[in-house]
Amino acid sequence: MTSAAISKNIDPVTLDIVKDSLIAIGDEMFYALARTSMSPIIYEVLDYASGLANAKGQLLTQGNGACGFIGLLSFMVNEVLDKFGENIKPGDIFIINDPYGGGGSHLSDVGLVMPIFYHGELVAFSANKAHWTEVGGKDPGSWTTDSTEIFQEGLQFPCIKLFEEGKVNQGLVDLIAANVRFPDLSLGDMWAGVAALRTGERRFVELCDKYGKDIVLSSIEYLLNHGEQMSRKELAKLPKGTFETVDYIDDDGVNQDPLKVQVKVTITDDEFICDFRGSHPQVLGPINCSYTALCSAVRIIFLSITNPSQDVNDGVFRPLKVIADEGSVFTAQRPAPVSTYWETMIYGADLIWRALAPVLPHRLTAGHLLSVCAVIVSGKHQDTGEPFLIVEPSAGGWGAGLGKDGEVGQFCIGDGETFNVPVEVAETRYGIMVDEYSLHTDGAGAGEFRGGAGAVRSYRAMTDNQFVTATFGRHKFLPWGINGGHEGSANKFYIIKTNGEVCGPFGKCARFPLNKGDVVRLITATGGGYGDPLKRSVEKVALDVKNGFISLEQAKNDYGVIIDPDTFEVTGLTPEREQKEGK
Amino acid sequence: MRVATDIGGTFTDLVSVDKHGKITVAKSHTTPPNFEQGVINVISKSQVDPKEIEVFFHGTTVIINALTERKGAKTGLITTKGFRDVLEIGRANRPDLYNVRFEKPKPFVPRYLRCEVEERLNYKGEVLVPLNKDDVKAALEYLKKEGVEAVAVAYLHSYANPVHEEETVALIKELWPDVAVTASYEVTKEWREYERTSTTVLNSYVKPVASRYIDKLDTKLKEIGMKSKEYIMQSNGGTTTFEQSKVAPINMVESGPVAGVFGSAVLGQMVGAQNVIAFDIGGTTAKCSLVEKGEVKVSTEYKIEKTDRTAGYPVKVPVVDIVEIGNGGGSIAWIDGGGSLRVGPKSAGALPGPVAYGKGGTEPTTTDACLLTGRLSAKNFDYEVDFDAVKKAVNEKIAKKLGLSVEDAALGIIRIADSNMLNALKLISVRKGYDPRDFSLVAFGGGGPMHAPILARELGVKKVIIPVGASVFSAWGMLMTDLRHDYVQTYIRRTYELNLDELNNQWQALENEALAQFKAEDFSKDRIRFSYYADMRYLGQEHTVKVLVPAGPWKKEDIDEANARFHRDHEQNYSFKLEGAATEIVNLHLVAFGLVEKPEMSKIETMKDPLETAIMEIRPVLYEKDGWLDTKVYDRAKLGAGVTIEGPVIVEEPTASTVLAKGQSVTVDAYGNLIIETGVR
Repeated sequence: MTSAAISKNIDPVTLDIVKDSLIAIGDEMFYALARTSMSPIIYEVLDYASGLANAKGQLLTQGNGACGFIGLLSFMVNEVLDKFGENIKPGDIFIINDPYGGGGSHLSDVGLVMPIFYHGELVAFSANKAHWTEVGGKDPGSWTTDSTEIFQEGLQFPCIKLFEEGKVNQGLVDLIAANVRFPDLSLGDMWAGVAALRTGERRFVELCDKYGKDIVLSSIEYLLNHGEQMSRKELAKLPKGTFETVDYIDDDGVNQDPLKVQVKVTITDDEFICDFRGSHPQVLGPINCSYTALCSAVRIIFLSITNPSQDVNDGVFRPLKVIADEGSVFTAQRPAPVSTYWETMIYGADLIWRALAPVLPHRLTAGHLLSVCAVIVSGKHQDTGEPFLIVEPSAGGWGAGLGKDGEVGQFCIGDGETFNVPVEVAETRYGIMVDEYSLHTDGAGAGEFRGGAGAVRSYRAMTDNQFVTATFGRHKFLPWGINGGHEGSANKFYIIKTNGEVCGPFGKCARFPLNKGDVVRLITATGGGYGDPLKRSVEKVALDVKNGFISLEQAKNDYGVIIDPDTFEVTGLTPEREQKEGK
Repeated sequence: MRVATDIGGTFTDLVSVDKHGKITVAKSHTTPPNFEQGVINVISKSQVDPKEIEVFFHGTTVIINALTERKGAKTGLITTKGFRDVLEIGRANRPDLYNVRFEKPKPFVPRYLRCEVEERLNYKGEVLVPLNKDDVKAALEYLKKEGVEAVAVAYLHSYANPVHEEETVALIKELWPDVAVTASYEVTKEWREYERTSTTVLNSYVKPVASRYIDKLDTKLKEIGMKSKEYIMQSNGGTTTFEQSKVAPINMVESGPVAGVFGSAVLGQMVGAQNVIAFDIGGTTAKCSLVEKGEVKVSTEYKIEKTDRTAGYPVKVPVVDIVEIGNGGGSIAWIDGGGSLRVGPKSAGALPGPVAYGKGGTEPTTTDACLLTGRLSAKNFDYEVDFDAVKKAVNEKIAKKLGLSVEDAALGIIRIADSNMLNALKLISVRKGYDPRDFSLVAFGGGGPMHAPILARELGVKKVIIPVGASVFSAWGMLMTDLRHDYVQTYIRRTYELNLDELNNQWQALENEALAQFKAEDFSKDRIRFSYYADMRYLGQEHTVKVLVPAGPWKKEDIDEANARFHRDHEQNYSFKLEGAATEIVNLHLVAFGLVEKPEMSKIETMKDPLETAIMEIRPVLYEKDGWLDTKVYDRAKLGAGVTIEGPVIVEEPTASTVLAKGQSVTVDAYGNLIIETGVR
């Protein structure tokens, strides 16, 4: 209960009810977009977010499919406020994808913002941001691993009006249609986004009609303060002090040198400060990440650490501070290419995760695949002759934690309520066949609790002249273990040609040509382990072998357990394990 | 005599109706793990003569219990080479977005019991690699050695052509006749391999349990002299025979709850309300479902154990669309870390139950709040209520922390619970483009009548119907059901290039399948009715809208009609349509009803004594808008047909209490249903 609300004489139950209604509006906007979208990247991968902000641009409620959007909406609304101020009119809708400011990530993530007026007064904003399959640029799918300037990565919308007082800017729509490879998809997604904005507006106005504007605005204050209180309560429970980590990004896609990145996390009674200074300067290749995307990454892991199950609003993040050098790989400036920004952004979360995992075992696990392991395959369908475009993330292994093995075959933390494309749907829609979709049971990530297995997915081209582009970070620097748990394995992919030639393993590759019968084999990492493998129970080790998650040799060498290859019964322990067990 | 029995968590209910329309109701304790005993007990308690029973309906939680308690059979899976991990990877989604310690659902078949065989079809159903029968034999030997009791068979693209699954099942029946087996095409013919495999596995997993249960029940019923036809309630809102239910028991997963939805549709028809919202409040949950023009909505989007934190397990069989939330009479009120009042989803359950039960409960619940605000009377309870203990719980756990009086805190609990339920009701109505003013609310279950009239006014519903025997209404619904079978076939075609002959062959094949099934059930052909649906979308979309389409066989104009209805439904659901855009059919869906003769409802008498004679007491009740009001409490049993009472008023019966606010009124209709005008214009 806030003092502000008491002084206005609004009863706490009404505030709670309006607060819950605001959250319900966020959910409704989110589903409206998914159900009407034209692109798999939205309706299957749910690579978008939608929400409401107050008139000052503070986020009130956000529906997310992918975690990576968690910081972006309010920055976007703030950009609209900064740029248009008094010129924001009822019926306006703004379009924005500027990566370096205004809630930017890469050009493919296109934001829409709509002001909500009540009896002529600006009371809130409805906003969403979605990954369009196509925004033009040099490569199909608009992201690539070898761009060197933003201008190669597609259309830029520098916060401009798509609708002016309810009237669509047809010139802009035509311009988009002319500059993207699949205009039906991109414009279809745009209309779905507009419909979702209007749903938010309609519901918000209904709420004001029902409870009165003043009560709704008080509830908004209450909602933000409530979020902040929830955060501070959890913050108080965290260990205080400074925690540091250094890690390396494989390369930037153009040059092959590893890039050093680092964080210093300082937790005090009322602040959670993440200092990324000293990390590598921005680079030539497209892995550069903007400050707003970095903030998103930090917010994700802040929620993991404090209270993963809470409703999200800007109040929650009030104790959070993010510091970084200007022009670093985490804070890129124009005209640095950013189209595969996530390869760096997720390090923003992973560094903090790694720094704090040893002291927060009830919240954090060992390292996971980290990379989105994003793939583009383009070409023509063997039966219809129509062009197709696969743009999708890959599932991989997660790290083990205290009391639990790592999860198998899951998307990285930057994704979330993201769905893989079923094999049967992929084979119908795209000019490929899937030879295999299985777990990558390489037995890496040994530990008392074992890292989760990655996945193997193989696409066989059904026509000539297809191309594959993929970016599999954590190819050279592996998912980390904790407390004696082993490292996981690398993300990688191969191309196997019909003549038997094997190309790879690759971590990044742009536009590799595939002809009919060629196979691209995508293999994701197994997560890191937790604790000494010699402490894993022999029964679990035996079952791991029976299930094929580890080999007989690994059972013996990593876990010190000797197993009968036919019956999978335990026949003995190695001297090392016996010694450890004090036998 | 028609008899329905419904097994619930605490009670097994019975409702019977004789040929004069006279209804008898009985309740007996549920008797796990021998659930059939509870059924026999309740029949005996009801004093229905088993020899008089002509038709017997049954709803059971045996299937859902076996699934959620992991008490099914040890199951093995045979699948396409390269894809045994599909069941474990699932869709790789993570609803618990920010929790890095999330746990994905564990597969029902562990990796070592998932066998791969060589075979392959393409998306058109053409055989690319023939089935390697030696692989199947090897898999069977291995699974036998591992002590498996049930086998699931699921191959890629079998929805397009089940030939390899059929061959495999034939081989299994030959080599291992006593193992329970399910092939995916037998339970679902929709694409998406994970969902289909999951459904198949779950069916196999519960098959032995289901067979044992149905057989035991059947034997027991015969022992007590019953000779009637026996039907079991399925999740699609219809029934099937005992025999058929053993083949695809996964169809019984929501056996009980859907009967109330179906009952609401039937009751709506009887009282002239074609559009109804069924609303059921029990001890731990509230459920609601929307019925448009008498039609219960059915989809194949069901999942068990799905929450907003976990992905659950898909079950692609037809299940009535029900939205369920963790808010019932026993839901616990609490204050969260940020000082907000919340109700549920944690429930005090039957034990210890609400504080008012005096069985050791210390957490305040919705029921306790209803007691403190006068909505419930201490006399409603079977035992002495410790009023002070209830007050103390609400005071210490809620009121003090919010700085409110005990009574205001109790009212707050009810308002939060109502708000949660209102959001669920909005989800199925307003947010799907329906105007609540066009609907009547049918409220039942122990708590439905208490919350519904005031909630309905909030939602904008004009009329609420409280049926006779509201607390056993689900069992009544079963008495009114027809046999129902759903046939869904994935058939992906653009409507502008539909081949009518091919399409009509598809419809014909589905009809033939239905006719064969009814024949197997010994059901006469002239009582069979078909409804035709298509799951449609705009080209490029993924999600579909289920559209009621013209009956087959189709002529050219039927395509236009289907498209017109799709545009209309899309706009209804999602607020826009794209009239120029190309449309696509994804699934054909045939619903086949086997019509059963329905009992007539008997009418009640008009009231001879003055209305005052039905007053039990006058007690103060706390309302949100009007504060404390002295409220007359009427005995429902004494109210005759045609009487009308103005609110504020409470109508009580032994297992439920209907609460009306000022400005609302209730009329008893000819059958004894309470028809409430909510005050919405």
